[in-house]
Amino acid sequence: MPEQSPNPLAPPERSYNSEPSKGSLQAAKAAEDAAILGRVEQGDQAAMGLLFDRYSSIVYSVALRVLKDTGQAEDVMQDIFIQIWKKPGAFISGRGSLGAWLVVVARNRAIDSLRRRRHTDSVEDVVLASSTDLAAEAERNTLMEKVRIYMHQLPPEQRKSVELAYFEGMSHSEIAEKTGDPLGTVKTRIRLALIALRKAMQSKSIPSSSVRGGAV
Amino acid sequence: MNAQHIADEDLVLYSMQSLPAGETAAAALHLEKCAECARQLAEVSGDLALLSLSVDQQPLPEGARNRFMSRIAAELQTAAESQTAAAPIAAQAIATPPKPEPARVIHEVKPRRSWFPILIPWAAAFALLALAGYLGNQNQRLNQLLNGDKGQIAQLSAEAAHAQEVLDTLTSPAAKQVTLTEGKGAPAPTGRTSYLAGKGALVFIGNNLKPIPEGKAYELWVIPADGKAPIPAGVFRPDDHGSASVVLPKLPPGVPAKAFGVTIENAEGSPTPTSPIVLSGAAGL
Repeated sequence: MPEQSPNPLAPPERSYNSEPSKGSLQAAKAAEDAAILGRVEQGDQAAMGLLFDRYSSIVYSVALRVLKDTGQAEDVMQDIFIQIWKKPGAFISGRGSLGAWLVVVARNRAIDSLRRRRHTDSVEDVVLASSTDLAAEAERNTLMEKVRIYMHQLPPEQRKSVELAYFEGMSHSEIAEKTGDPLGTVKTRIRLALIALRKAMQSKSIPSSSVRGGAV
Repeated sequence: MNAQHIADEDLVLYSMQSLPAGETAAAALHLEKCAECARQLAEVSGDLALLSLSVDQQPLPEGARNRFMSRIAAELQTAAESQTAAAPIAAQAIATPPKPEPARVIHEVKPRRSWFPILIPWAAAFALLALAGYLGNQNQRLNQLLNGDKGQIAQLSAEAAHAQEVLDTLTSPAAKQVTLTEGKGAPAPTGRTSYLAGKGALVFIGNNLKPIPEGKAYELWVIPADGKAPIPAGVFRPDDHGSASVVLPKLPPGVPAKAFGVTIENAEGSPTPTSPIVLSGAAGL
């Protein structure tokens, strides 16, 4: 339970798609999400439909990327939104943006499904320091394209390691076995890939390969 | 990051649920107490959200929204039905007046409405909810520990099974013990010892041993390097093929050996050698 956690978190929220001029818009979106969740808590089906319309596509896409099966991916997506419907308080402010939180939960649930195991964590356990706004579709699409470009700019071995771990749910030892690299190297590559992605997203510069026809 | 914190690489793997079960349980315990690591974990989880965004956005399967809305409508209906079923019971509980205690009736001039009997069930319900929440948390924590322990147990079981298999292969009477020799002559009796002086652990395997009279047995000896008396290391009789083994006899730890020897003694063994050595080997100190 978040309230009972011995180490309550106040993570410094990061945002990768909020220029200063967009700050107020993003805050408005976050407040809007919070208001919708409040209505969901009152049993408002229309509000739940609104949340579903806003985030179901990205949640489903993440689950599908992991599971590669539309039926299973929909099951994961439905279960996540049903859980929000039953327990909207599981997401509280301070856990990052609702969209970012949902995509991480979607990945974890999909991996659990892939490994045919029961859920290893409850949704309340996922805490993340990110206020990345995924509510508005246009901004989300821009952000996703930016992330994809940066991912392709990573050294291939780093990208491969991090994708095997994150989307295929492979342990570092399985990756080491598959790639023939030492365990320590695999661990370091995964970490470096995340750091590189974080730094790239924090920089204001536009990815060089964002121009169509580049190295993407 | 100091040594007491979770290493950055492991924190990343933990957030991806890619650590082995034992390490996951240990990390979860640490994270409960360490705000710094929990903060780092939140940072990493934020990065994972970015990774999730590298996927291609896909359209929902047809009818997915309708299926979802039907499910939540069904959930609402189920909840409403449970409330309806619970309502008469609650109403009955409230309508039933608490039985007054005789003494109080005598002394009260006017009957006064007391909230206490109504509050008791609520207080009990809240207490039960709090207890359920606490137990739920404990259960989750214990499950994590259990998962970690299960992983360790599985690993230890596998290692033990492997060790047992090695031991069986070396010492089982069913195992075919063959000594390879040059030429076609009858192989000579041989014995091989493996000895860890620090642990006092010894394994002896004998091959082509000569048959031994009834009431007698071979006895193995550790001959200490410091010149002290030989230490008995187990009695044994060869099988029909001349094979025998002694596995982990009771020996004092920390006794470096100069040599090992085998004598023929009475079947119950002897505290000191009483007959000539029939097999011997220097430890090569």
